[in-house]
Amino acid sequence: MKEIQQKIERLLLKTQKPARYIGGELGSVVKDRDKVDVRFAFCFPDVYDVGMSHLGMKILYGLKNSRENWWCERAFMPEKDFEQQMRENGIPLYALESLDPVRDFDFIGFTLQYELSYTNVLEMLDLAGLPVFARDRKALTPLVVGGGPCVCNPEPVADFFDLFIIGEGEEVNIELLELFERMKPQNPTKEEFLREAAKIEGIYVPAFYDISYNDDGTVREIKPNVPEAPARVKKRVIKDFDSVYYPESFVVPFTSIVHDRAVVEVLRGCIRGCRFCQAGFIYRPFREKNIDTIAKQTRCLCEQTGYEQVSLSSLSTSDHPQIEKLLDTLADYTDSENINLSLPSLRIDNFSDELLEKIASVRKSGLTFAPEAGTQRLRDVINKNVTEDEIMNTCRMAFEAGYGTVKLYFMLGLPEERDEDVVGIAELAQKIVDLYFGIPKEQRASTIQVSLSTATFVPKPFTPFEFEPQALPEEIDRRQKLIMDAIHSKKIRFSYHEQKISKLEAVLARGDRRICDVIYTAWKKGCTLDSWDEHFRPELWDEAFEECGVSREFYANRRREYDEVMPWSHLDYLVSREFLIRENKKAHAAETTRNCREGCSGCGIKQSYGGTYCGKVNS
Amino acid sequence: MLTPKNQSLIIERWERRLTFAKEGRARYISHLDLMRTMQRAIKRARVPIWYTQGFNPHMYLMFPLALPLGTDSRTESMDISLTEDIPFDTLLKMLNSSMPEGLYFVKAALPVRKHTDIAAAEYEVEIAPDVPAAEALAKWQEFMAQEEINIEKRTKAKKGKKPGVKQVDIKPHIDVLCAEERENGLFFRMRLPAGVELNLNTGTVMDAFESFSGVNIVDNYTKRTKILCFDGEEFI
Ligand code: SF4
Repeated sequence: MKEIQQKIERLLLKTQKPARYIGGELGSVVKDRDKVDVRFAFCFPDVYDVGMSHLGMKILYGLKNSRENWWCERAFMPEKDFEQQMRENGIPLYALESLDPVRDFDFIGFTLQYELSYTNVLEMLDLAGLPVFARDRKALTPLVVGGGPCVCNPEPVADFFDLFIIGEGEEVNIELLELFERMKPQNPTKEEFLREAAKIEGIYVPAFYDISYNDDGTVREIKPNVPEAPARVKKRVIKDFDSVYYPESFVVPFTSIVHDRAVVEVLRGCIRGCRFCQAGFIYRPFREKNIDTIAKQTRCLCEQTGYEQVSLSSLSTSDHPQIEKLLDTLADYTDSENINLSLPSLRIDNFSDELLEKIASVRKSGLTFAPEAGTQRLRDVINKNVTEDEIMNTCRMAFEAGYGTVKLYFMLGLPEERDEDVVGIAELAQKIVDLYFGIPKEQRASTIQVSLSTATFVPKPFTPFEFEPQALPEEIDRRQKLIMDAIHSKKIRFSYHEQKISKLEAVLARGDRRICDVIYTAWKKGCTLDSWDEHFRPELWDEAFEECGVSREFYANRRREYDEVMPWSHLDYLVSREFLIRENKKAHAAETTRNCREGCSGCGIKQSYGGTYCGKVNS
Repeated sequence: MLTPKNQSLIIERWERRLTFAKEGRARYISHLDLMRTMQRAIKRARVPIWYTQGFNPHMYLMFPLALPLGTDSRTESMDISLTEDIPFDTLLKMLNSSMPEGLYFVKAALPVRKHTDIAAAEYEVEIAPDVPAAEALAKWQEFMAQEEINIEKRTKAKKGKKPGVKQVDIKPHIDVLCAEERENGLFFRMRLPAGVELNLNTGTVMDAFESFSGVNIVDNYTKRTKILCFDGEEFI
């Protein structure tokens, strides 16, 4: 597409960080367009800097391109300045490898990582020159598909997509593209193809389901309207996680991005079962990779990319059954190669002296903890298995090892939260400050800074809190003030998030199909890049809800009964409804549930899915 | 306790000057990003590179002259230090084994001239104006016939002075070696000052031409062809 390239190049010198818009990075895959049978545009509905940091995209990009006759390319949301330039100059959304317009591709795939990216999906489809509603795209291609954590409730965006991929993508993507490759020569209609696709486990075609509603506005029934569509779509799980495909190389960007480093996935799922955490439930069961596999993949990626930093990715890296041996093995390699080993998501409750030393040796500047709640009782409610003693012990070790900054993350508006829990946040911070001053000067870090950060709790589908109302914004404001008033030390800093964003997230997370029109209306009014403070336009969202006659409180602030049909009831994430109800009841009684390693709690996942601890009473 | 790395190692250094090309899509890599890109390329190539010493060892890389964003070149310079004496052609082959599109090395040698010797660079500029080529060329001649060509230059904040703009006459610095019509456009070869003392980019000259003449430059393809020392010799 020489013509597009020329048009793009005319704009590049007038734009911020132009290297984001022209491709050509090391590791980007360029094929001969005449020699490929399936073309897939992997779209990340946010800007390059964010999207390029995302691991799932790297995996699926490498996976699809490993087939000689398939070509997977990348596209991102342009910044507002470049987007305007593209529109003014007639440049449609293009893929970075070929610079071809994505509307000519067979598939356009979006990964939905957070609800606030939904308007970006519409913007990108529109920029591609395509109708945003699936029903208005009559031709077979491009097929617009979605995946990622948010598709556990895809209903708020159901009208824009042709199909969703539910669960882990490594196998089902291949099956879907193989089906397409097989059927394409017969020129099927879009419906013919989608009917076949619906037979693949993990594929959800929203158009094949009818939704009816009760008088009170809740969902009455979700029913398939074609024989090919299953009554419940089951998520896909990689059973043999150790041998699942992992890329040997990444696309190495020129410009700096959010996470600019090699990343190796060490485990999937989480043993913890924190009741607010969607990832902890939708990625079950816990499966880990062998140390040898991780070491091999680390070495390979570092060699192929030339990155000076590698990080281990998982929900909770320290839960790897052999974490210390793993870190030993990796540190030997990274040290000798002048590579920085970074370890996000290390939990404090199983920090050992030895581990702490390892982390110190990789030069981290501060410690980050997420107690999430200010008191033990509330931590029991949310099943966050961290005790104050553990926090104090870790902080002591940290101060003695020379760390001076501690960041603590909390949520406000949790179920069962009382004022003493809220004040407890400030008190915990004060105890940490006191602890520091209790250590003799020569044995501690030279300065101390405790940063508190609170986010408003957003109840999410497929968690024990999916039934819970979100606290009203005024109430959250009051609780923030409670914290502020309870802070008496200059060593403590407090920051919090914008209320309007959390409330919108709550609606989008648990919405049904009637939210599609609201998203469409908000986008039409100019809402895009909603997750960026400088672009978020709450007043336009207000108007959109108003015009569509949709009540936000119905979705965000209403308690749902245990027997209510949820908008996502036809999707099966393998964790049983009974388990979620059980956990919800235990939460209200402030009872904890043991983690999977201590013993299986029977969440409903079958042993055959390959979980390390599933069905085991004690390890 | 943390100990600085490489402390006990006594390392001999072999200095190398690499000439590289930056063309096509790679033109849009900014100078800052180029540093990182080259470091990663060297790591991938497993070249025995010399690291600085201390708590945070990093590779030693030095670019004697930055290339303006969007300009093509096959004559860019980068200095590195090695911990092993490896033959020039082996070094080239290693480095070129894994480079992004448009970025590649054309020569490895011993450094001869000092960085501070650099005084000028030569460029080829092809432009597509929005008026007929003959008309644009006439305008160009008018442009160059001016007594002075004043541009506004932003000045940095210094002690007691606020950042501001000042007028600078760039006319004496523009050395046009060739200006002619070519394929519905204009073609120039020009020599402009470069280096630590004074830097002038073709972009600045073309912007000045646009605002003087009212001609719009629709497409612009610029290539740096030579880096020159104060004595007129090529920088090697
Ligand atoms: S089946 Fe048991 S071990 Fe497996 S994820 Fe569920 S609770 Fe954990």
